[in-house]
Amino acid sequence: MKKVVMITGASKGLGRALAIAFAQAGYKLAICARGKETLTKVQSEIEQLGGEVIAVAADVSIEADVERFVSITELEYGQIDVLINNASIFGPGPSLLLDYPVNKFQNVLHVNIMNPFFVTRRVLPGMLTKGSGSIINVTSEAGKTGFSEWGAYGVSKFGLEGMTEIWADELEGTGVVMNMVDPGEMDTDMHKVAVPDCDYELQRPEDVMGVFFYLAETKADNGKRFEAGIYNESRKTT
Amino acid sequence: MKLIKNQFHIPESLNAAKPPEIRNHSRADVRMMVLDSLTGKTDHNHFTQIGQYLQSGDLLVFNNSRTIPSHVKGYQDGNLVSIRLAKMISSNRWEALLINGKKKMGSVIRFEDHVEATINSLMNDGERVELVFSEKGIQLYDFLYRYGMPIRYEYINTPWPLHVYQTVYGSVPGSVEMTSAGRPFTWRLMKELKDKGVHQAFIQLHTGLSYYENDIWPNPEDQYEFFSVSDETAKTINDTKNKGGKIIAVGTTVVRALESAALAGSVEAKNGETNLYITENYPLQVVDGLITGLHEPEASHLHMLQAFVDKHLLLTAYEEAVREQYLWHEFGDMNFILPLGVK
Repeated sequence: MKKVVMITGASKGLGRALAIAFAQAGYKLAICARGKETLTKVQSEIEQLGGEVIAVAADVSIEADVERFVSITELEYGQIDVLINNASIFGPGPSLLLDYPVNKFQNVLHVNIMNPFFVTRRVLPGMLTKGSGSIINVTSEAGKTGFSEWGAYGVSKFGLEGMTEIWADELEGTGVVMNMVDPGEMDTDMHKVAVPDCDYELQRPEDVMGVFFYLAETKADNGKRFEAGIYNESRKTT
Repeated sequence: MKLIKNQFHIPESLNAAKPPEIRNHSRADVRMMVLDSLTGKTDHNHFTQIGQYLQSGDLLVFNNSRTIPSHVKGYQDGNLVSIRLAKMISSNRWEALLINGKKKMGSVIRFEDHVEATINSLMNDGERVELVFSEKGIQLYDFLYRYGMPIRYEYINTPWPLHVYQTVYGSVPGSVEMTSAGRPFTWRLMKELKDKGVHQAFIQLHTGLSYYENDIWPNPEDQYEFFSVSDETAKTINDTKNKGGKIIAVGTTVVRALESAALAGSVEAKNGETNLYITENYPLQVVDGLITGLHEPEASHLHMLQAFVDKHLLLTAYEEAVREQYLWHEFGDMNFILPLGVK
């Protein structure tokens, strides 16, 4: 039976690249994003490739939207094997914490922390009752190193990394694993906001797929942090 | 068949209107009356102490069907009506209860987002109708999850959201009412039991409506429900029985599913529909014990309980539960019926 991969924030950037790559590899897809129009485009692309996809317009920082997205997927596919918590927002472009608007700071934390919490919490029961599953949280170098002016985004990714470690520890021995991937700097809309005057070459989202495929299929790792660049290099040398 | 009907009365103060995590601390914060099905002897305890009555090698069987938002409001001939979905027939057809509306063939009920449903036929019991929706599959689910609500009965005076009507392990959407016996289980409690050697398995049975309003109760023989018992669960149950472990059903739905899949004292993997009506003389083939809530005098669940325990012992225990002020319904206290003593 084809495995089901659920990807949040799949209408552009890394999420879109993941959706298309997993569909090409024969997985069934369940994708969501807030904007229906761009999501429908990705859905059409996947269908043209002969892929099977459920696309639901949903804001995963809202618990009721998460219930709708996950339940529709369970109703249609019966199960979810791999969850990639990709959706996140950057918030305002470079800004000192001292200048950061409080409401925007709160919003970034809410979206980037609560959405993987809501989605994981909703998907896990199905994985735990069948005793297998893989959850991959997309983090950033900014979740490990405090970069000036990356503000609430950096704080939220630190939070996500802590949440991943806590959850992975609690999942030990259940057959479900949770890991995180730092894809590195990529040429995406989010990067343009974070680094408006970028003058160095960036990798494409399509270049970092390998580690996600590895984590979708393995149960060997749990609670680990992967850097896509290092993973790619290690694959070249083996 | 003789019912216990009207032999006990539930004072209004014993209707649990709030979930235990709101009343107390956690969803597991409910009381538990343990009823020895052999002697009728009762023990009063806290639900978190359930492990005291289970042994390593016993098996808890849970129903992991998840509650869907099955109550939706619409307009029929300009008048506000309520629809309570009862059972899916196909991707755009549902058996449903129409409240405050006219059961008129061909009549159209209009909902939000231009979704419509047409009354196609009246079901045999004269209560439910068959509705044909203008949307199907993912689009119909999307509509229901956007505009539907969980079914709430009259003792509930707060519009609790859908997530309140779920067990922690519910992951196969399809029940129109919560499989409430499993509601007090937390992952922590399930882990503690597993660590003690109490095994766990899952089946699905998508619940239909348990009440039709206006004091009308469905006959379980008229009510077909989808159920599924996997190969793995069947094997776990049969292995447990062969080794002398007890099979404990978490909820009457589990009993209905397992006894529907029973074959000469064991269980076979099965998917299908069941209208099995378990009553006092039904010889249970698989299930030894039952964790359940406390039920109204009119509910058919009580008939099933009499297959586990003599009805006079059950009635005595229920009278004791009323005296002890146990809370009733889906957010209430629990009753664990199992053979403990020597007859």
